[in-house]
Amino acid sequence: MKRGWIAGAIGVLTVALAACAPGGGASGQGGEAGGDKVTLSLWSWRVEDVKAYDKILAKFEESHPKIDVEFKPFQATEYNNILATGLSGTAGPDVAQLRAYGGLQPLVEAGQLVPLDGKVEALSGFDAKLLEGAKGHKDGKIYGVPFAYQTLQVFYNKKLFGDNGIQPPATWDEMIKAADTLKAAGITPFAVAAGPDATWTLPIVHEIFGNARYGSTAFRDALLSGGKKFTDPDFTASIKLLKDLEPYFPKDVAAVKIPDVQALFATGKAAMYPTGSFDLAPVLAADPSLEIGAFQVPPPPGSPVTTPVTPGWADGSFGVNAKSAHQAEALELVKWMATPEFGQLYASELKQLSAVPGVTPSDPLLAEMAKNYAANGAPYTLLVDFRYGQPNGDAVFRDEVQKMLVGQTDPKAVAESVQKGVEQWFKPGN
Amino acid sequence: MPRWRVLAVFLLPAFLLYSVFIVYPLVTALEYSFFEWRGIRQTGFAGLANYRDLFTIYPYDQQLWRAFGHNALFFAGTMLIQNTVGLLFALLLFRHGRGKRFLQAAFTTPYLVDPLVVGYLWSLLLNPTFGPVNSLLEAAGLDSWALPWLGDTRTALPVVIVVNAWQWVGFPMLLFSAALAGIPAEYHEAARVDGASAWQAFRRVTLPLLTPAIGVVSVLTFIGNFNAFGLVYAMAGSTGSPAGSTDVLGLLFYRVAFVEGGTEAIGRSSALAVLMFVFIFGVSMLAGSYFRRRERRLL
Repeated sequence: MKRGWIAGAIGVLTVALAACAPGGGASGQGGEAGGDKVTLSLWSWRVEDVKAYDKILAKFEESHPKIDVEFKPFQATEYNNILATGLSGTAGPDVAQLRAYGGLQPLVEAGQLVPLDGKVEALSGFDAKLLEGAKGHKDGKIYGVPFAYQTLQVFYNKKLFGDNGIQPPATWDEMIKAADTLKAAGITPFAVAAGPDATWTLPIVHEIFGNARYGSTAFRDALLSGGKKFTDPDFTASIKLLKDLEPYFPKDVAAVKIPDVQALFATGKAAMYPTGSFDLAPVLAADPSLEIGAFQVPPPPGSPVTTPVTPGWADGSFGVNAKSAHQAEALELVKWMATPEFGQLYASELKQLSAVPGVTPSDPLLAEMAKNYAANGAPYTLLVDFRYGQPNGDAVFRDEVQKMLVGQTDPKAVAESVQKGVEQWFKPGN
Repeated sequence: MPRWRVLAVFLLPAFLLYSVFIVYPLVTALEYSFFEWRGIRQTGFAGLANYRDLFTIYPYDQQLWRAFGHNALFFAGTMLIQNTVGLLFALLLFRHGRGKRFLQAAFTTPYLVDPLVVGYLWSLLLNPTFGPVNSLLEAAGLDSWALPWLGDTRTALPVVIVVNAWQWVGFPMLLFSAALAGIPAEYHEAARVDGASAWQAFRRVTLPLLTPAIGVVSVLTFIGNFNAFGLVYAMAGSTGSPAGSTDVLGLLFYRVAFVEGGTEAIGRSSALAVLMFVFIFGVSMLAGSYFRRRERRLL
């Protein structure tokens, strides 16, 4: 009897110890098993892309017979914590998919990544705006090879436009007139969500309609140098556009969620969908026969910038773990990720906009969005520049815009709150 | 084997599990909250700076009190709705035995479902664009009642409280049922002989004898409500939509720790976790001793 209890206690002890032991499945020991062959572990937050990456990485393994790459995706919502922990131990990845801008900063400051300046020559040909997403905020060094970017514009339903005799608008007034026509026909003009899951998309909707109104890149540069603040009348006016457009959004917009507006647009109950290039695949998945066009919002009256703008940002990059046992091979892999071969494979397998220069997407609509960004690209400044401290610029912004849409605050107070939030950590001129 | 060793062997498994999974994380959070963080790197002792930040940095300085207020409302609303209705159900089932087992099972089923799932289901039911609740109201001619329940700052928190009560009402009901069954029938008979009305018998005999059960239910409700997260997250997202009208401390913690993910996240979120623990633990202790004193007066 006594022995039984002791055995039981030991059993429990073993289980408890196993539970707190660090996660197994280490990488970075591949060299021992396969002779000269090295196995690199590549971490990612794209669980849904396993097949595509297997195909893409097979090409790399063909030209680099001594390197095997093992693609290991994790749940996107848990990825940041998993990666930070992985990079601090010995069981981490050799190459990792990295978040951009403020999301990259904690890893840079903890010294967990290898700077790539001078090591990956092809980076000098990358778009400077996109490279910012892979740079350390303070040291200005590049820590990753950007893989994709997103552009912001309005999708429209070609059939609904045709049925109602509407052309993609060339001026703001034409756009409002089109919205009036659609509303009169019982169609929701703009599929915009401001519900519980949609607060991150409110700054995106603001960028799409308001980027030209607040002054685009010139205003952003003035913000960063300290010449202007968010309380600037132009920025306030850009926020007011959302309040002015609210009658054209779905009813009770503060209760409407993202899947609702995707459904409204995919089923032809809403005609225009202001969103990012990332939404093309999900919308087409709901109805592959949907004929979609895209337009850049014409500058609203009073805009300092008088041509349409396509705001965008870098999605992320691939970087090398400072603790990787196979630095040379890991560097080979990220070098290859900066080549057009990788870019083209990435664009065609994943239907995303590749950050590698000179790569054109095969999908005509994506190609058009890429062309617009190349010609009229501008940074989505709240995401690109104001996520380096707490509170995030876009976190304050989305909460306050939601308040404005339910009538609890006004555009001027929204702008003041954003300024008040970010100036606690943001110092202009750095 | 001496007695203390036998005791130790009995206590060891539970003690180990408790240490590894409860004490260790708590102590870690306490330690983390006193350090400065850059990502996952500790850069020095911070003293109480992380705590001070929560009370001084905009918008946390406002969100902290707002969330605290909503937790308090959540608790008050739950006491009022869930626990009163639970007591009522327990009394009705106690007096009318028929179908008792079935009804008890029916009322307790929702709490077998995870709060995230319950919240998600109710947010689908209440969806203003596609949801059946408003369609039914409109079909019944009650168009003015077809509100955007979760999209209006005035209705969102009450709706969350009611859905929470819907899920948990079986819990106070079971506890009160057990307590009612423990009251000797002679007390009620004596009250009736003395000519007490049904209300007087309830007010003067039943209710005072339920004090222990009321104490347990209140403290557990308090702990549950001040730790609320899953249901609110599923119905109102991480920001306590709309416009923060359903924001609670659990959501604020989640945002500071995981959503905004700044370089200072670990220190500040740990500080908030410690504050929540100290408050909930402290109040539960005080409430526990208060109810014990009330009980002693009954004897």
